[in-house]
Amino acid sequence: MDNIAGHKSSLTWAVHLSVAFLVILWLFPTVGLFVSSFRTADQISSSGWWKALFPTEQNLVIRGASPTDQAQIDGLYVIEGNIFDGRAIGDIAHWGTSSREIDAYKPGDVVELNKGGTITLGEDGTYRMENTEEFSGSRGQRIFFTATTAPEFTTANYEFMLFDPQNSEGMSKAFFSTLTVTIPATIIPILIAAFAAYALAWMEFPGRALLIACVVGLLVVPLQLALIPLLKFHNNIGIGKGYLGVWMAHTGFGLPLAIYLLRNYMVGLPRDIIENAKVDGATDFQIFVKIILPLSFPALASFAIFQFLWTWNDLLVAMVFLIDSSGETTVMTKQIVEMLGTRGGDWEILATAAFISMAVPIGVFFAMQRYLVRGLLAGSVK
Amino acid sequence: MKLNLMLSVASLALVAGAASAELKFPVGEGPFSWDNYNAWAENAPDLSGQTVTVAGPWLTPEDGYFRDVLAYFEEATGAKAVYTGSDSFEQQIVIDAEAGSAPNIAVFPQPGLAAVLAGKGQLTPLSDEMKQWVIDNYAAGQSWVDLGTIGGEFYGFFYNVNLKSLVWYSPENFEDAGYEVPETMEELKALTEQIVADGETPWCIGLGSGAATGWPATDWVEDMMLRTQPPEVYDAWVSNEMPFNDERVIAAIEEYGWFARNDDFVSGGAGAVASTDFRDSPKGMFTSPPQCYLHRQASFATAFFPEDVVPGEDADFFYLPGYAEKDLGNPVLGGGTVLAITDPTPGAEALMDFLTLPIASEVFMNQSGFLAPHKGVNLDAYRDDILRKQGEILLNATTFRFDGSDLMPAAVGAGTFWTGMVDYTGGKDAKAVADDIQKSWDAIK
Repeated sequence: MDNIAGHKSSLTWAVHLSVAFLVILWLFPTVGLFVSSFRTADQISSSGWWKALFPTEQNLVIRGASPTDQAQIDGLYVIEGNIFDGRAIGDIAHWGTSSREIDAYKPGDVVELNKGGTITLGEDGTYRMENTEEFSGSRGQRIFFTATTAPEFTTANYEFMLFDPQNSEGMSKAFFSTLTVTIPATIIPILIAAFAAYALAWMEFPGRALLIACVVGLLVVPLQLALIPLLKFHNNIGIGKGYLGVWMAHTGFGLPLAIYLLRNYMVGLPRDIIENAKVDGATDFQIFVKIILPLSFPALASFAIFQFLWTWNDLLVAMVFLIDSSGETTVMTKQIVEMLGTRGGDWEILATAAFISMAVPIGVFFAMQRYLVRGLLAGSVK
Repeated sequence: MKLNLMLSVASLALVAGAASAELKFPVGEGPFSWDNYNAWAENAPDLSGQTVTVAGPWLTPEDGYFRDVLAYFEEATGAKAVYTGSDSFEQQIVIDAEAGSAPNIAVFPQPGLAAVLAGKGQLTPLSDEMKQWVIDNYAAGQSWVDLGTIGGEFYGFFYNVNLKSLVWYSPENFEDAGYEVPETMEELKALTEQIVADGETPWCIGLGSGAATGWPATDWVEDMMLRTQPPEVYDAWVSNEMPFNDERVIAAIEEYGWFARNDDFVSGGAGAVASTDFRDSPKGMFTSPPQCYLHRQASFATAFFPEDVVPGEDADFFYLPGYAEKDLGNPVLGGGTVLAITDPTPGAEALMDFLTLPIASEVFMNQSGFLAPHKGVNLDAYRDDILRKQGEILLNATTFRFDGSDLMPAAVGAGTFWTGMVDYTGGKDAKAVADDIQKSWDAIK
C-alpha cells in the first residue's frame, strides 16, 4: 500500500538529494567566481578560493619598515613596527629572517642580523630592530613568519570597476551602449518573426513547406561564415560599422531560431478558434493581432529571454559590426576584456566583471522566468 | 575695449590651461627631449578637425600610456588621435582590412601578421626617408629595416620592443643561500645543480597561456639556438632553409629539455610545466619559502610579480649567458610591436612621423615596461634602473634577432611549434616533435 496517493514514496528522498546535488554542482563555479571577486590578485594566485572561507596556517613574508624610518633612541638606532599593520591576522607560530630558515625562531627570540644589529618579533606581530650603527640600504628587512590567518576579503575590485574615475565613465558608457544594442536587437527579430511564423503556420500558399525547410536549414549555418561578407556589404551600402549594422546583424542571426520556435508554437494553437474567427469575417491581420499574439505570449517571452541573453553576452558580433577604431562605441563585454590587461592576467577583475555584467540578465531572467519553461516546451507537446 | 581684451586673454588662458592639462608631463620639464618635440611641433601640419585612428593590442594600463603619447601629437597638430585596443586584435585587423573598415594605423604584435596584410596590398609602404631614419637611428638598424621589409617594400618600424633572454631572480634569496650570478651557461647549469644539491628547486617554468599555451618554450628554444649556433643558422632555421628537424635544432630543443624536463629542476616537477600559467609562474620566486630561484622570461615579466615586489630592489635579472666554450658573442633576442599604415591619410602620415620622435618613446617608457631601440632617446626617461639596464643591452646590441616563432608562418610559429613544445615538455621525443613541425611546415608551402 506504499504507492497510494498522499503517501510519500521512499524515492522522494533520493529525488530531493539528487536535486540538491545537481543544484550545488551547478552553482559551484558561480560561488567560486563570487568568492574570488572579493580577493586580491595575489590571494587568487597563491591559494584556491575554497581556502579563503576558513582560517588557514600560512607562510608569509613581510618587509619591515625601510631604514629611512629609523629612529635614534638612547644611542641605539631602532626600527619598530608591526608586521600585521592593523590587519586582523592570528597568532605567529614561528619566524625567521632568511628564506632558507623561515621557522628558525620562536616569537620573543632576540636574533643577530647578518648585516649587524638584532631583531626580535613578538607574538602580537610587533618587531624591533636595534643596532649601534646606522641601518643602511633602501629596503626593509624581510621577516618570514608562519601564522594562522583569518579570512580576509576586499571590496577593492568592485570599487575599482564601478567607482574608479578611470573606469566608471567607460563602464557606464558601455552599459548604456549595450542596452542600445540589445533592446532593438531583441524587439526587431521578435516583430518580424511573429509575422513570419503566423504566415508559415496558418496561411496557405504554395512553397510554404519548402520555406519552413529553408528556415530549419538556416539554423545550422554558423554565423562566423557570414561575418566578412556581411561587413563588406554593410560598408558598400553605406551603413558601415554602427548601431544600425549591429541591429541588422543580430536580427539576421536570430531570425531562423525565432521563426522556427514561434511557428511551432502557433501551429499548436486550436484550429477551431481561428476557423471560427474566419467564419465571422476576421482578416488575417485581425486574427494575428487579436487571437494569435495574446495566445503566443509565452513563446514570445521565452524567445525574448534567449535573444536578450545572447545579445547581452555577445562580443563577436559587436566587435565585427559595431566597434570601430574611433573608440566611440563599445559594449560591456569589450570593456571587461579591456580591463583584463594587455596580457590578460588580472583574474580578480574578470571575476568581478562577471558579476557586474550578470546583474542585468539575472534581473531579466527572474522577471520573465515563469514564461521560459512554458515557452521552452513551445510546440513540442500537443 | 579693455574689457574685451581682458576677456579674450582670460579665455585664451583657459583654453591653454585646458589643453595643457591633458598632457601627462608639462612641456619643458622632466627627462624628455623637448627641444626636438618643439622643433617638430613648429613645423607640424595643421590638422584641425581631422581624426587619426590607431588600433593595437595594448590594453590596460598600456593603452592609457599610449594615449598620453597621442596627446602631444594632438597638441602639436590640432588633430584628434584615437587609440582602441583589443585583445583579439590579430583577428579583428584581418576582418577590418578585408572589409575595408581598417583604422589609419595598426600596431602589429607580430611582423608575420603585417606581412600577411602587406601581401594582400592592405598596407601602405613608408617613404625612403623613414627607412633611412631607422637605419640611422636604431641600434642594429639594418636588422630592424629587414624585419619591416616585406617583398622589397618597407612597411613598418618598431615601437615598443621587449627583450627576451632575461633570467629573473631575487637578490635577497641569492644572498641568503650564498649563490652568485652566473656568467656563463656552464655556470648557470652548475648553479642549477647546486641548488638541487641544497635540497631546493631552481626553476619556475610555466607554459600556460590559454589558446597560446606553449609559446614561452619557443622562446627558450630560440635562446638556446642563439647560444649554440651562429646567427646565420638561426636565420636559416626561421626561414626554413634549414629544416626544422635538423640535428642542430633538435640539439637546441634538448638544451631546453635539460632544464624543463627534469623533475628536480622545476617547481612542481616537469609534469606541471605545461599546465602552469606563465603569468603565475614567476610568483614562486617570492613565496615563503621560495618555490624556485630562477625564472627565464622577457622584460615584461615584472608585470606578473606580486604587487609588493619592487623590480630592481627585490627582483633583478641577468642576461641568459652564452657558453664560454662557444665564441658566439651576446646576441640579443627580442620581440616587439611594429607600426604600419593601414588607411593612408595626411593625418596618418603625420602621426607616423611624430612617433619617430624621441618624445613619443620617452613618454611611454617613463610609465611602463617599454624599451626603445631608438638611439636618440634620453635613457634617464626610463621608469627604473632595471629598464634602463635592459635599454642599454638593446642599444649595445651588435646582432639583434627577432622572436623566431613570430616570424614563422602562423600555422607553425603560432601553431605546431607551440603545441609541439607542449608535447616535448610532456615527454615526447625531440626528434619526433621536430619531424611533426617540419611536416606541418611542408604542408603549407
